[in-house]
Amino acid sequence: MATRKQKISFTIKRFKSFWNQYKKSKRGLVGLAIIIFFSVIGIFAPVIAPYAPIEPRIPTSEYPGSPGVKIATRLCKPFWYKYLPWIKRGLTNITETFYLYGNVMFNSAIIHFIPENQHPEGGLDFDKAAEFPNYMPSSHKISKLIGVKAILPDGKPLFFNTSEWQVRGGRLILPNELVLPANKLLQMCTNATMFEVTYTTGVDLVENMKIVKDHKFTTAESRNEWNWTSSIAGFDVQYDDKHGFTITRQKESGCLNITSKGTTSEDATITIWKEFYYPYYQAPTDLFIHTSIYKTGPSTITLQWTFIRENEELTVKTVDIAEPNKYHHLVASEFTSNSTILDSIFSTPGKYKFVVKLKIPAGTNVAIYLDYVDCLLYGNIFGWLGTDNAKVYPSDIFSTLVHGTRVSLIVGLLTAVFSTFIGLFLGLVSGYVGGVVDEGIMRFTDLLLVLPTLPLMIVLTVSMRATSGYISMWNIIIILTLFGWMGFARSVRSMVLSLRERAFVEAAKAAGGGRLHIINRHILPNVFALVYITLAMSVPSAIVTEASLSWLGLGDPRLPSWGKILYDFNRSGVVTTKGLLDYWFWVFPACLAIATLAAAFVLVGYALDEILNPRLRERR
Amino acid sequence: MGLKGYIARRIIYTLFLIWAIITVNFLIFSALPGSPIEAYVSSLRGSRPEAFKRIAEHFGLNKSLHEKYLITLKNLITFDFGYSDNFGASIIDLITRERLPNTLILMGAAEVITIIIGMLLGVIVAYKRGGVLDTTIVTGSLLTYSVPIFFIAWLLITFFCLYLHWLPTGFAYPVTWIRNPPSNIIEYISGRIYHLILPTMTLVIFSVGGWILLTRACILETITEDYVVTARAKGLKERTVLYKHVLKNASLPIITNVALAFAGIIGGATITETLFNYRGMGRLIYEAIFLTGGGSDIPLLQAIFYILALCVVIANFLADLIYGIVDPRVKYD
Repeated sequence: MATRKQKISFTIKRFKSFWNQYKKSKRGLVGLAIIIFFSVIGIFAPVIAPYAPIEPRIPTSEYPGSPGVKIATRLCKPFWYKYLPWIKRGLTNITETFYLYGNVMFNSAIIHFIPENQHPEGGLDFDKAAEFPNYMPSSHKISKLIGVKAILPDGKPLFFNTSEWQVRGGRLILPNELVLPANKLLQMCTNATMFEVTYTTGVDLVENMKIVKDHKFTTAESRNEWNWTSSIAGFDVQYDDKHGFTITRQKESGCLNITSKGTTSEDATITIWKEFYYPYYQAPTDLFIHTSIYKTGPSTITLQWTFIRENEELTVKTVDIAEPNKYHHLVASEFTSNSTILDSIFSTPGKYKFVVKLKIPAGTNVAIYLDYVDCLLYGNIFGWLGTDNAKVYPSDIFSTLVHGTRVSLIVGLLTAVFSTFIGLFLGLVSGYVGGVVDEGIMRFTDLLLVLPTLPLMIVLTVSMRATSGYISMWNIIIILTLFGWMGFARSVRSMVLSLRERAFVEAAKAAGGGRLHIINRHILPNVFALVYITLAMSVPSAIVTEASLSWLGLGDPRLPSWGKILYDFNRSGVVTTKGLLDYWFWVFPACLAIATLAAAFVLVGYALDEILNPRLRERR
Repeated sequence: MGLKGYIARRIIYTLFLIWAIITVNFLIFSALPGSPIEAYVSSLRGSRPEAFKRIAEHFGLNKSLHEKYLITLKNLITFDFGYSDNFGASIIDLITRERLPNTLILMGAAEVITIIIGMLLGVIVAYKRGGVLDTTIVTGSLLTYSVPIFFIAWLLITFFCLYLHWLPTGFAYPVTWIRNPPSNIIEYISGRIYHLILPTMTLVIFSVGGWILLTRACILETITEDYVVTARAKGLKERTVLYKHVLKNASLPIITNVALAFAGIIGGATITETLFNYRGMGRLIYEAIFLTGGGSDIPLLQAIFYILALCVVIANFLADLIYGIVDPRVKYD
């Protein structure tokens, strides 16, 4: 009997000779390298991915009192877009054409503007026209109006004085005084009048900005970030290292301390501001403002956040604080729905002020502590691959992609192992036992091979979802396994049938070997080459099918898989509204990852096939 | 036995397969614990009582298991699938009027083109094996095997529709046809073909790799046979050897694979149709699951699945027949 040491050295030797053969296959090496690469990514996913794969948020500890802040707005583009020279940035002139429709009543008119691309040939009913807005729905935000021109029915242009047109919130508004000229136009022509509007717009790639460097006031220098003025004398703003808000006895407990020296005689307004430079031609897509405030004394204090540029002012929100001796966490967010508000102030690069105004009524003696004062301006570029379209907490697509490697590898490998095992078992039984068992198993295999697999899988997933409420990764693995073993069972069976008649099996039988012994010692080792090949070859179809099912919306919605990225993209409607060309970075990396990983397993399987399948070797 | 016996055996086997499919259908939809049909029907109970009554009766839900089985058997054999409230049509009408023909057109076109291209390339590659062309095409074929079909479709859409603006992004025919269908037959055919190009191209790219590899393997198998060596030794032209001796013998396994490929392409067609909004059976699956408002339309799904499986079985049967006629060994078996 061989000792254990000898056995090990024999295994190592065998592996070495196998490796020497494998090294010769270029395809195999490439495949192996790719698999190793993806495995490393999968294992270290939490380290590599900068954010959580699903619903990432800035933790509550950063901004207490908020349920977690989104990391970026939805549908951001990748940050490296700003290095692409052909992407338009800065101010550009745009000329757009609109059709003016109206209903004249006495000396006023109801007016509607229809963009050229939505205007049907031969005109539009007035009823239909009423669905369009009464301002010019320009496709970009208007930052400066250059010219407005109407084209009369006789082809002559009619120029308007641009100074009489107003631009409000990035839109061109037709002021009441100007309804009259429009009215005249309507009376003059029976058809719709064509308007040509030329304007300047700012198109830019905006990055997320955090305005306040040290919003927790951890050090005394953080005081220097802020300027302050007071409407009356007798106030002081200082750094305080004791009274800051702490969640769990953390070290940093610094804050900003505003105290009045004695009782105030009249209403006071204390303005604290931080100046910052906003470098973009386009407004932020959203903002988030946070302030924690603590005050003493019974009087109600009013806090107001404002942005100031030169002499324009935008008030974001005003909050009253009544209850004393307690930290209030004030938040302003969710501006996405009303982004024109931001457009009205953030239209050009320049110096801006983020202002916190405190109104203190007369006759109070008060101490106020401010902590966690910050303002986040969200841009339209973020991360390596942008963000998806989730409404509340958009995911960083790159993070989901990295985490998805795990899911795909797990699903692919487990399905391959399970289905290969089932195929091996049934093939062995069918081939070695023969008779009725063989017939039964083979007919069943044929039946499954005939059934259209993907529709059947879809039906099964749907019925699983109907009964259990949702689909987990394990359900998918089970379903994939159920339909992945047939081909392998067949080839194992045919191999066993030929092995059974070989001389060495006969000899083993003659020596009194039992069935299990023969299968275990004489047949299995001969079939094992096939097992390795099938293991590698059945991973890709599992990965691709899993992605297809998820793409159809039959995956686990809480699982960060590659299929989920595809599903989100498919459901977002971006393909039809914005075009694949605009958002290719959302899906193509995931598709490419699926294809590459699957192809890597195919290549390895092919290389193994060449080495382990002697017939192929002879042919080469 | 001869050819007749072979055909008789095939017919019996096909009937057995159809019975087995009906049984699988019954198992999946009605017999399994918490069966989808029952879940579906009970979801109707409150909201649409008359639909609940009709469907419960159609599937014999209050009866015992073996009675239910017999009812399913009868329903499926007679193609009596009932009425779909979600689509406002009887299910068999819904399937046969537009969906099934559309799918068969798409899959037929795709499969014919795939086989022609696949066999051509396969023969060329097998003949020039070991060369640069061989390595490239074989590796390429292996790669298409692992590319998800929607990726192919998206790439094609991006290039042909969004970049070049040559082809439509979806639908089986121009949208304007819904109101005023064309009277001119040439206009009709060209309109359909125009909308078929991209889905067909997707399916062809998706499945051509497998055909190249299969043809190549079959030809390599025969090219080393002794009779090929003999034919060469006789001094026959290389072309004659290839077409008369090699290709003829290699074509047998290829024929059997046509039917299997038909089953394989159904999965691809499901996704392609969904993506291209092509109103076929695959799109109907998607609509039955997602566009019904609430739960999936299970009776419709059952019908679709049954019809698709039936198509594959019939395709298999036809392939077997052709095989029997082409392969002389069957006659003397």
